[in-house]
Amino acid sequence: MDPEEDMHDARGESSQEEEDFYSEGYPSDGEDEDDDGDDAGYDFVDNDSDDPSTDVRRLQQNYTTLNEENISQRQADDINRVSTVLSIKRWEACVLLRHYNWSVSKVHDEWFADEENVRKTVGLLEKHIEMPNKRELTCGICFENYPRDTMKASPCGHPFCFSCWRGYISTSINDGPGCLMLRCPDPTCRAAVGLDMVDSMASREDREKYARYLRRSYVEDNRKTKWCPAPGCEYAVEFVMGSGSYDVCCKCSYSFCWNCTEEAHRPVDCGTVARWILKNSAESENMNWILANSKPCPKCKRPIEKNQGCMHITCTPPCKFEFCWLCLGPWTEHGERTGGFYACNRYESAKQEGAYDESERRREMAKNSLERYTHYYERWAANQSSRQKALTDLQALQNEKLEKLSDRQSQPESQLKFITDAWLQIVECRRVLKWTYAYGFYLHENEHAKRQFFEYLQGEAESGLERLHQCAEKELQVYLEAETPLKDFNDFRTKLAGLTSVTRNYFENLVRALESGLNDVGPSNSQAGSNQAACSKSSSSKSLAPGKSKSGKSRTGGAATSSRSGSSRGMDDSIWTCDSCTCTNPKSNSHCQACDRHR
Amino acid sequence: MTSSSVPSRKVLSKIASNRLQKEVMEWQTNPPAGFKYKVNDSLQRWIIEVTGAPGTLYTGETYQLQVDFPEHYPMEAPQVIFIPPAPLHPHIYSNGHICLDILYDSWSPAMTVSSVCISILSMLSSSPAKERPADNDRYVRNCRNGRSPKETRWWFHDDKV
Repeated sequence: MDPEEDMHDARGESSQEEEDFYSEGYPSDGEDEDDDGDDAGYDFVDNDSDDPSTDVRRLQQNYTTLNEENISQRQADDINRVSTVLSIKRWEACVLLRHYNWSVSKVHDEWFADEENVRKTVGLLEKHIEMPNKRELTCGICFENYPRDTMKASPCGHPFCFSCWRGYISTSINDGPGCLMLRCPDPTCRAAVGLDMVDSMASREDREKYARYLRRSYVEDNRKTKWCPAPGCEYAVEFVMGSGSYDVCCKCSYSFCWNCTEEAHRPVDCGTVARWILKNSAESENMNWILANSKPCPKCKRPIEKNQGCMHITCTPPCKFEFCWLCLGPWTEHGERTGGFYACNRYESAKQEGAYDESERRREMAKNSLERYTHYYERWAANQSSRQKALTDLQALQNEKLEKLSDRQSQPESQLKFITDAWLQIVECRRVLKWTYAYGFYLHENEHAKRQFFEYLQGEAESGLERLHQCAEKELQVYLEAETPLKDFNDFRTKLAGLTSVTRNYFENLVRALESGLNDVGPSNSQAGSNQAACSKSSSSKSLAPGKSKSGKSRTGGAATSSRSGSSRGMDDSIWTCDSCTCTNPKSNSHCQACDRHR
Repeated sequence: MTSSSVPSRKVLSKIASNRLQKEVMEWQTNPPAGFKYKVNDSLQRWIIEVTGAPGTLYTGETYQLQVDFPEHYPMEAPQVIFIPPAPLHPHIYSNGHICLDILYDSWSPAMTVSSVCISILSMLSSSPAKERPADNDRYVRNCRNGRSPKETRWWFHDDKV
């Protein structure tokens, strides 16, 4: 088993997800129809507004950005809640929550199922034991005698002097986040040492460190939150699990995938991105080394290098997951049965069955595809730098150019939002386009129909985006340089705004189509009944028609829709591209769906 | 003995030497059975003679333990190794390094040299066979350049021996 194999596994899963996506895609298309229905109702009220349902979708964020204060607040709230419900001290609630990865419900479940056992595992004593009732006591660390009232103990009553406590706590804090699960120094005692002890004895610096670890743990060990991966950003993002797209945008304006914490990468799935990024790491030697020598911990995914020792691996605290290096299964399932501690029969038998040779072969194939890779990489990188450039341009625009333009064309700046929108769209499209090259790279070579369709869509997307970029960059220049207001500025506005909205629609549909694995093309779905295949074909090709703008103007009749669905195969002769806005239209339409211009 | 066992020598802190003096005194009045402290002039390095417990695979055999104390003992664990030849044991490498959790991750400042010695003797006594760890050669090769066992990341997999 090696990391690359994992990647394949991950991809296997993701393709399964794609299938899920696909099967769920059908009913949700049905919902789209409903939206259309609702739309028709709204038409009477507001003919020109954008589709209200899209607006709602945008407002319904499935994540929240948290700053340091929010994090501490939430943590304190959770601690208070547990402390109140279980009638335990706050520091005890804190230890409990830390142990159960800050899941309040898990703490409650476990506690009420078996309080005694929970107390034992976590180290919380039910009855506090007093220190021996003598005037003088011996410290268990320095073995000096001190008056009883200068000694301190956890609820277990093992007395240590102030300075030894301080040293003990400090050593543990400086060893790392394991300090959050500190126990009494007495080796026979498992009593927890919590926040109250730290606060009453540690130095200020150590207390602050401890608090930082607590906050970090609240974000990192909590299944609902993750740090924003942008360099220097200190926000965390809380995500509502199972709520669709993983793309989140931090308050620092960095967009990333909450699942894999790489930059936002729709329409490509996380497994593909991981493979792509690994592939791109310039030091291919280094990459080969990682592949050959390290594996991610199966639980916390941190890479682990094995330099010696037996096959039993224990991940560093706080993860501490124990697993078998060979099969990556939990160690608890190992022993004499699986071939002892130094070999693993599960691995050996899987190897004999050929499960691992397969990955070797795939690796071999990957080696031969260097040229192909370069092709995709160059285009991926070109869009990346183009995106970077667009971001810089956007900034320049916001910093000075808009003001200048507002001056020259006698337009209030609020009326120039369409330009910013256009640039934001360009940035987003460059990002999507960039990832379509990773998508293309991993698209199976045997699937000719899919590949052709994909390249067609990608080409259209590219030329549409070029048109928008050109308009926002070059044509804008004229108005920036004009000495007096130009009459046709309003035409420019209409054109740029139109291009923006058309491109947005096209890319949104592109993303959806790629995410569904281009399932309406090719024989890949041989198992699906012909009926369902036809349905998905019609729904998906419909969603691909870029002009399916939901604004009242462009709505087409039912006949047009059905003819569109019928045309998905003979793409080239059954559609036409609008010269004005680049939108693709079904042959049956005489007017462009997006800009209403005559063919 | 080669350089492999010399830790970065920093003078013992006051707390460390106070505590070690107490441990020496305690050892003299109440030495752990089977161990002999070989007096030398250094408080920072103890040499201890171990005699295999009667009725075990190591009956009558003697080995030497070398215990080095770090500056911040007992907050930090001492470095404990066998001076080669080390006993043949599934958790003891031929260079004398010992795979025992209390010497590393599970060290607690409330432990003492005496309690460590007792743990080591109990580890010896419960050995099922006189053999080296399976990865002995590889490990020892990796340690050649004077690595301390405290720099090794150990995994402790066997609570029986």
